[in-house]
Amino acid sequence: MRWNYLAPVISIVASLAVVGVMLAVMGINPLEAYIVMFSRSFASKFGLAELCVKTTPLILTGLAVAIPLRAGLWNIGAEGQLYMGAFAASVVALYINLPEFLVIPLMMAAGAIFGMGWAAIPAFLKAKFDLNEIISTLLLNYVAIYWVEYMVYGPMRGKEVYNFPYTDLFPDAATLPRFFGTRLHLGFLIAILIAIAIYHILKRTDFGFAVRVVGANPRAADYAGISRQKIIFYSMLLGGMLAGIAGMIEVSGIQLRLRPAISTGYGYAGIPVALLASGNPLLVILSASLFGFLYVGGSALQTTYSVPVAIVYVFQALIVLFIIGGQSLRRGD
Amino acid sequence: MVDAGFIASLLASSIRAGTPLLYATLGETLTERSGILNLGIEGIMITGAFTGFAVSILTGNPWLGVLFAGFAGMALAFIHAFFSITLKANQPITGLMIVLLGLGITGFFGRSYIGEVAVYINPIHIPYLSSLPYVGEILFTHDPLAYIAVILAAVLWFLLFKTRYGLEIIAAGENPEAADSVGVDVDRIRYISTLIGGFLVGIGGAYLSLAYAKLWTEGMTAGRGWICLALVIFSGWMPQRAVLGAYLFGGLDVLSFKLQATGVGISYHLMRMVPYVVTIVVLLFSVIRKRAAFGAPASLGVPYIRGRKQ
Repeated sequence: MRWNYLAPVISIVASLAVVGVMLAVMGINPLEAYIVMFSRSFASKFGLAELCVKTTPLILTGLAVAIPLRAGLWNIGAEGQLYMGAFAASVVALYINLPEFLVIPLMMAAGAIFGMGWAAIPAFLKAKFDLNEIISTLLLNYVAIYWVEYMVYGPMRGKEVYNFPYTDLFPDAATLPRFFGTRLHLGFLIAILIAIAIYHILKRTDFGFAVRVVGANPRAADYAGISRQKIIFYSMLLGGMLAGIAGMIEVSGIQLRLRPAISTGYGYAGIPVALLASGNPLLVILSASLFGFLYVGGSALQTTYSVPVAIVYVFQALIVLFIIGGQSLRRGD
Repeated sequence: MVDAGFIASLLASSIRAGTPLLYATLGETLTERSGILNLGIEGIMITGAFTGFAVSILTGNPWLGVLFAGFAGMALAFIHAFFSITLKANQPITGLMIVLLGLGITGFFGRSYIGEVAVYINPIHIPYLSSLPYVGEILFTHDPLAYIAVILAAVLWFLLFKTRYGLEIIAAGENPEAADSVGVDVDRIRYISTLIGGFLVGIGGAYLSLAYAKLWTEGMTAGRGWICLALVIFSGWMPQRAVLGAYLFGGLDVLSFKLQATGVGISYHLMRMVPYVVTIVVLLFSVIRKRAAFGAPASLGVPYIRGRKQ
């Protein structure tokens, strides 16, 4: 299975080459540009901290895609689930009076439940009516994003934000602790622990076994007496829960308030993250770091050459296209 | 406040706002009828919007812009077709990557065109007819592309349901084995449908930048591509229904702006949710009732591999 390790590497190199050509067209030396991307990400503690900051939501959204994918389901809705989680966590942070030590745990629980609830809609429709989950999760993203916009433009707009569509800043008890004088926050550790936990859940529990069987061979699942509907439903819920936690971590660790565009496509980036890791939760940490690097490097390019961050999308798309293209070619042999 | 004049101008704006949706919906309808699900509409549309705008600036001719927007759409659609048809790759995922690719490329190259002024496509007031009360404003004050879109819907309807070629397209989407067994080249049909579909989606994008919004900004399609995906389902894969659907969804967009301007207490953001919610409900009805007239092509999104049972 050497190919499994080789394919992502080839895909990454090929994507770097194509983007290099695009940079060259804009009159930027690609080699220099890539050096800027590396040095900005790795040469200082702030760079490394940013890398972890960007990697954090990507680990969780990557898992949010990877788990249902193991059961044969496409969760394109991590973006919306993230927004709903962020919304719920913000409500707890801003409007509920709690003893300080309870605020963060309750925010996380609220984020998890709302992310899960948002995923429960397409999960239910899929399990009950076999409604295509790709379309339903996708459409619900927009509903969730507009819901958050509605909230921050309307009922939740802060008193101290002039006319900006923000909520007020969270109280200190509702923000995740930061380390080393950088933006690195506790969420990074939480995300890694969750990835390790999911790895063990998929590997060692009955639920994990059932997920893998349903994904690999639905008919075998029927023979083994595994309820496919149930597994479909719960794997999607688990995914939504993690995306919801990602939303909570973004508002509590980075934004410190709810506002529109809290996510720059983290939910969608979860798809290539999961694909690159071939659904393995531990490898998700690795592939999330790669995409985290692209985010940090992308904004380094923006500040250095005023290249739009949009270049990150091109990277993402190319990497996935090369991977699935390679898989298809091999299947054809 | 809500008088006949208001309604007339609302309807006229609905047609303008619906026209880019109509082009893209017709394109995707053709693509999906042949069995290829192209989720990349949003990316193709934005690429069309940018290409049309840039070519109009460079050549001073907006119609060349529209043409090249179509070609740019076709180029992205070709990537999708190559992955879906030749490589038999996962169509939804490939489509999503087309979205990222389109947004990324236009964001990257489009930065320097923001705030530029291109040569635009302007409305023509049809003599006599446009001065009819109300009806004139609603129907006869649009630009040529808006009229062409309606004609195109009729042509597509005719092509799909009244010609042999249309029969082959539908067969490729419903039952490719059967089509293949009577000598239809399924891959060829699917390639052509996807490419022409991409061409139309690209034109929809160009309409947005050259005739509707008359500017270029990054990400200016603002989710319209997904709305069109929804519209294809909403219209039951029928070009004639797509016309009404596009104007209706365009009207919703306009209405949310106008209501906001008049201070009626309905949130703009809540209004923007409506098309997505409506689509999910429509989808739900269609799967529950399983009515053939409302169903997706049976082999939509399924790669056709000769000799393999599906």
